[in-house]
Amino acid sequence: MEILRTENVNKIYEDNKVPVHALKNINLKINKGEYVAIAGPSGSGKTTLLNLLGTLDKPTSGKIYFENSDFTSKSRKELSEFRLRKLGFIFQAYNLIPVLTALENIEFSMMLLGVPEKERRERAKNLMAELGIDGLANKRPNEMSGGQQQRVAVARAIVNNPRIVLADEPTANLDSENGSKLLDLMEKMNEEKNITFIFSSHDKQVIERARRLILLKDGRIVSEN
Amino acid sequence: MLVKLAWRNIWRNKRRSLIVTGSVVVGVVALIFIDGLNNGFLSQMLFNQVNLNISHIQIHKKGFNDNKVIQSFIPDKAKVERILAHNKKIVHFSERVIAFGLVSSAISSSGVYILGINPDDEAKITTISKSIIKGEYFSGKQREIVIGNKLAEKLKVGLGGKVIVLSNRPDGSIGSEVFRVTGIFKSPNSEFNKAYIFVPIKTLQNMLGLGNKIHEFAIITTDYKVTEDVKNEIRNQLDESYEVLSYRDILPLLIMQMELYKETIYIINLIIGLALLFGIINSMLMAVFERINEIGVLMAIGMKNGKIFTMILLESLFIGLLGTALGLITGIGLTELISIHGIDFSLFAESLENWGIGAVIYPKLTLENLIAMLFMIPFITISGAVYPALKAIKLEPVYAISYV
Ligand SMILES: Nc1ncnc2c1ncn2[C@@H]1O[C@H](COP(=O)(O)OP(=O)(O)O)[C@@H](O)[C@H]1O
Ligand SMILES: [Mg+2]
Repeated sequence: MEILRTENVNKIYEDNKVPVHALKNINLKINKGEYVAIAGPSGSGKTTLLNLLGTLDKPTSGKIYFENSDFTSKSRKELSEFRLRKLGFIFQAYNLIPVLTALENIEFSMMLLGVPEKERRERAKNLMAELGIDGLANKRPNEMSGGQQQRVAVARAIVNNPRIVLADEPTANLDSENGSKLLDLMEKMNEEKNITFIFSSHDKQVIERARRLILLKDGRIVSEN
Repeated sequence: MLVKLAWRNIWRNKRRSLIVTGSVVVGVVALIFIDGLNNGFLSQMLFNQVNLNISHIQIHKKGFNDNKVIQSFIPDKAKVERILAHNKKIVHFSERVIAFGLVSSAISSSGVYILGINPDDEAKITTISKSIIKGEYFSGKQREIVIGNKLAEKLKVGLGGKVIVLSNRPDGSIGSEVFRVTGIFKSPNSEFNKAYIFVPIKTLQNMLGLGNKIHEFAIITTDYKVTEDVKNEIRNQLDESYEVLSYRDILPLLIMQMELYKETIYIINLIIGLALLFGIINSMLMAVFERINEIGVLMAIGMKNGKIFTMILLESLFIGLLGTALGLITGIGLTELISIHGIDFSLFAESLENWGIGAVIYPKLTLENLIAMLFMIPFITISGAVYPALKAIKLEPVYAISYV
């Protein structure tokens, strides 16, 4: 079942003197529950594409459909609500809220959804236990290693049961051991919860483990399987 | 949770938050202190006048206050005495004869107000008896006179010195008498020390041929706050031939000045408030710019503008509340502490004494101003965060996330 589709998406950055054609005629179809890696050399347009799929930016031309409804024409407020309910994000630099503990970071997304405090706490704790990171509950980001922070970030991304989790180079700042632990976690969540994962990487180890690979070069999809 | 987040965010940059909180504290303390000082200044000015001579309420024959002619006697002295004796809110009252005349020594002479008083009664009404710096207040002899230090200097007389007092009698002839200086007073009001002399009421009545007629009753009530009430009560018991005046009626300029001051304090508040406002805007802008990346992440994970806006306002509000609380404590503490001994302005004593204040000023707090501050400062800190918060929510998520 299709969850996400792009139609002739182009992105041209025009803020500099020379316009950069970062994405060229991207046509993509992603089904529910897929586990997709977007690969390609640096500058090939991976971040740009993920930003568009994550509704953080708008294409210069073309349309992007989520469950058959076009979101390129939606307002900021609608998109914010959409991201809150349907999307989860994992960032390369983890980007947890530095003043909140791991548990609070996970609760935060639920707070934004208006989940009552008691339920929030319980769900966050359960999820941490499920991911095997319950020992980190009361640690602040600066008291955790990168690998630990990124696993908390996964918990934050999935706690509201999103349809899609988008991750831009989630392992780039991790060593290979922590990187593969993270991939295990993402795969597990993909299989158990049927959450669609779309992540970018230029790391061989990561790419090899993807079930579907989209290869970008100079803003074009050069191969797909 | 938003509250928790905002509170913790403040302490991320401890130094900046403390500096901003500190500037709020300084602002609040300054406001409290300036107000306390001015308020002390004005009420000292008022109460010095009241205590020195005016008293709370005066009764005259109608028109006497504006035109102090010798013929304006109290129409029915006994009746007024009965009324005053029966009023429970009146603590003391005294009789006065007031004339304008000339006092001369062997060396020079000076125009003065001559107050004929009953020394024992007057001692309960005014502070002259306590302001004697040389000699004594009256001892009970007939031709004693108490004069101010400035006048003594001018006439070059000392204790026991002789002076002649001249004044018009009601029939137009001149009355005169020789007095011996028994006491020299020094009040905080240098003008008063130059222009007022005190003699026993009987002596003055004889000198001017007044019999037992008087010009004025001076009254002290239980509290200056009930003055207007007491004034109206007395007024209702007397007919149109009397005038009953409170110190507010007698010192209209001073009262006006106090009212004017209330407006001045608004302007001072405004200036300090504006300085605070810009300080807050500046620091909250910095707080936003330092966190562009994080704000982008918050936007990405679905935090709506309203919540981001509220979060930033809360941060500023907390700083404001903290600063206000500390400022109030410090300001009130400091003002109270200083008001025990007052601030010695001896350097400017000359000019202060011309205003009738005295060299030492005791700052005095007003509840009104404290309450105003309690609302004003947090309001300012919130207002100062509005622009930075707007800046924050106008950020584009992609731009913010990749901002380095
Ligand atoms: N904000 C921007 N303004 C201008 N050019 C940009 C911007 N973001 C990315 N680009 C350009 O777009 C191209 C694709 O960048 P990006 O999507 O970041 O690639 P990747 O993530 O694969 O390294 C690059 O040439 C990059 O320089
Ligand atoms: Mg990238």
